[in-house]
Amino acid sequence: MKNIWKEYDRRIEESKILNMQSWALNIKTYEYLQTQKAKSGLNALSGFKKWMIFAGILFIAFLVLLIIKSLKFQNIYFIGSLSSIVIFNILAIIFYLRHIVLIHEIDNTESLVEVQEKIVKLQTSTLRITKILFLQTPFYSTFFWSRAMITGNPTAFFFIAVPVTLFFAALSIWLYRNINYHNAGKRWFRILFSSKEWTSIIKAVNFLKEIEEFKKEAV
Amino acid sequence: MNDMQTDQEEFLRLIEENKRIIFKICNSYCYNKNDHDDLAQEIVCQLWKSCGKFDTEYKFSTWMYRIALNTAISFYRKEKKSAPTVPLTEHLLHVEDNDGGTGILEAKINSLHQFINELKALDRALMILYLEEKNYSEIAEILGITETNVATKISRIKEKLKQKFLTINY
Repeated sequence: MKNIWKEYDRRIEESKILNMQSWALNIKTYEYLQTQKAKSGLNALSGFKKWMIFAGILFIAFLVLLIIKSLKFQNIYFIGSLSSIVIFNILAIIFYLRHIVLIHEIDNTESLVEVQEKIVKLQTSTLRITKILFLQTPFYSTFFWSRAMITGNPTAFFFIAVPVTLFFAALSIWLYRNINYHNAGKRWFRILFSSKEWTSIIKAVNFLKEIEEFKKEAV
Repeated sequence: MNDMQTDQEEFLRLIEENKRIIFKICNSYCYNKNDHDDLAQEIVCQLWKSCGKFDTEYKFSTWMYRIALNTAISFYRKEKKSAPTVPLTEHLLHVEDNDGGTGILEAKINSLHQFINELKALDRALMILYLEEKNYSEIAEILGITETNVATKISRIKEKLKQKFLTINY
């Protein structure tokens, strides 16, 4: 096999094909590459996460402003719901910040296993943020609760509002517990995530398994 | 001549010296010429961007293989489509048959290439390094696994490839 590979090498040397890389030997190419390629790959991922952080901060600022403006005891449900939503969004931002740090820590000069593992874990960590954000869902059905609503129309409150909130609470907890790599192939999971996202996550999960297998000492 | 120009010239010299390796890595992770060219660009770009991180404690080839193979695997994972649809001779990318009378050798090169391309991404990197005659210690350093693991895996893959070669009549 080594002899065949050497022959292959000899043929590459003999043929003129390597002229295809002549562009690479043009110094001006690097100026182009440095500006254009910076926009691709992980940098693009980092850019997306930065936008998510920016949007998240704006959303949190808006919610905090609403909380401050409504600081009265009778608004306790409103303040409680919004505060809970703020907490989950702060958690998501912390995860996004951690991802950006991880993206910048990826160094192609490290070993293949280390680098590929970091990249794949970064891709699959999207799931963690998604499941945390699902936990805020029930609080979107409680912010309009009030004492007047409970005492004024208890039937509607206990037979409609509370069950709806309980349903969302159960659903979000179930999703939090079940959104993981093992369920990535299930139908509900595929419906929940867009096909493109699902495909890239599944690919990343499979590659993570491949890396684990590769690292294992062969017996 | 300023330092920047000297750096660029030194870099171009190293690329020139190692372009066959870049070419072979691209061939092993790409299914068509456009991807091949894109990957070659990406590898050169990553090598250029990582120039400042070169640690003289390592051999230049170790550093270069790590960057080139990491870039190739990431590219392959991002771009991976279905199995190659182009004829293998074309896939071997532009290696012209200069001597005309070496059909068997040509077929063997194609087969070896096909078998390597059928391996998983990391096994493929391992085999390329083995065929490039890197020693086990350097392969282990590039891949990030132990030497014993390298030896065992190479022996298994070699056996598998040998069996595949035996099934073909040249």
